[in-house]
Amino acid sequence: MACLISDLRPVYVVGIGFHPYQYASETTYVTLGLQAVREALADGGVAWDAVESTYVAQSRLGMAIGRPMLRHLGALGKPLAHVENASASGSTAFRHACIEVASGISDVALAVGVDKVPTERLPRARVGLPNLADDAIVPFTHFALLTDEYAHKHGVDPEDIALVAVKNHGNGAKNPNAQRQKARTLEEVLGGKRISGTLTSLQCTPVGEGAAAAIVASEAAIKRLGIDAGRAVRVSASAAGSEKAGNSLNPDTALSAETMSRAMREAQIEPSALDVVEVHDAFTVEELLYAEATGICAPGRFIPMLKEGAWQIGGQCAISPSGGLIAMGHPIGPTGVGQIGEIVRQLRGEAGDRQHKGAKIGLAHMVGVGAVCYVHLLSK
Amino acid sequence: MADEQGPPPAVFSTEGTRSLPQHPALLGGRCEACDYVFFPMQTYGYEKCGSQSLEAKALSGRGRLIASAEVFISANKSFPAPYTIGSIVTDDGAVVRAILDVPPGAQLTPGAVMITGLVPETRPDRGAHDLRFLPATTKEG
Repeated sequence: MACLISDLRPVYVVGIGFHPYQYASETTYVTLGLQAVREALADGGVAWDAVESTYVAQSRLGMAIGRPMLRHLGALGKPLAHVENASASGSTAFRHACIEVASGISDVALAVGVDKVPTERLPRARVGLPNLADDAIVPFTHFALLTDEYAHKHGVDPEDIALVAVKNHGNGAKNPNAQRQKARTLEEVLGGKRISGTLTSLQCTPVGEGAAAAIVASEAAIKRLGIDAGRAVRVSASAAGSEKAGNSLNPDTALSAETMSRAMREAQIEPSALDVVEVHDAFTVEELLYAEATGICAPGRFIPMLKEGAWQIGGQCAISPSGGLIAMGHPIGPTGVGQIGEIVRQLRGEAGDRQHKGAKIGLAHMVGVGAVCYVHLLSK
Repeated sequence: MADEQGPPPAVFSTEGTRSLPQHPALLGGRCEACDYVFFPMQTYGYEKCGSQSLEAKALSGRGRLIASAEVFISANKSFPAPYTIGSIVTDDGAVVRAILDVPPGAQLTPGAVMITGLVPETRPDRGAHDLRFLPATTKEG
């Protein structure tokens, strides 16, 4: 019979590292990735030769980019796998690193996400199915349509939905790894460049470049390697799924609700226990949809509770304390690993100016085009 | 389906259905195994049940608006912004997204009845005409 990660050996995040997310630059992906990995090794007090397996997440760099980067740490001949799963690439790499340690195949594994902005449009294989307007609809219009639907369904003003961006830009201003580090007023958010529907540029993620790394280890490795167990954060659940038939308009939200529910059942917690949440908020409406999908509030209640301060750092549950995809950024390959890094920082109490006091349980959520969904629960 | 490079297969007919003959029909399909209707027509297999017993079915060019959004930045150089996209559930139950034939800044209400219409081609490789949804008149709705 199939089992859950939590049925196997406990897995802990013991090291996290970043190369700050940033706009496109001349910096090589090797430099980006190495900085994140070296920072994660130093953070965990783990030597490179103790890492037994590595998963490299990327979406826009092409084939087999891992070894040209990792060899500069010492080419030791350890297993290496590459993961591409759209926006969820990093989350997928992290899940498989956890599975490897939980299963006992490895004691220490690394998940690293790295990506850069491509210099030309990436080719995509033809599905072979025509559509009415596939060449006129890009992601921001998909989410502008969902914004319109949500606003009408719940009687919410577009100005209220923009408050999500105000909160997340405020959090990003306190995050040295964020691509956008400037607090914004509601007037600035609403007065920005119009993109589609009521979405303005400051309500949409900036897709840039960067890297994030997380080292996971077993209890045996923590003891054997002398890792500080007091800073280790338990991976209490990992759940994944893909889109089911019958919901072609908003597959991400239904899939997210189901995957989040499975993760919380695995960790045996209720939504009210969540202290910090990082969701795939590439567009403001996504934070409403996915936060409500966790069950922390009823559908349509997110905005009233946002206005009351419930989702701020220090509120009922800190949502997107990193700044989320809207402010921290969304370099694609690193994003899911970076969410893990932020939650680990929060649960350790090491998040500085953006610390959510007393954080014990965090949820990381990513969706990817397709749609796929990955949810991880971490606890301290 | 388009296994070869070239113009995409037709997704609509200039003729309407028997119940709505004056408005172009959408070229969808029906699963013979589970009777579900889908759009566009394809023969790979139906995603609900995996059946390959699929038949072509002309779908009504009438439906109700679920949501709409004006687009201010176009990703398609041959089709500049602004234009408006709508999500529509057709009378046959298929959910489609299409370009709407409405003026810039149009205020559209979810639930509004929408119908298909033809416009001269506005994008390359779409044939002599292209399809739009537009708000139905009282008589059409």
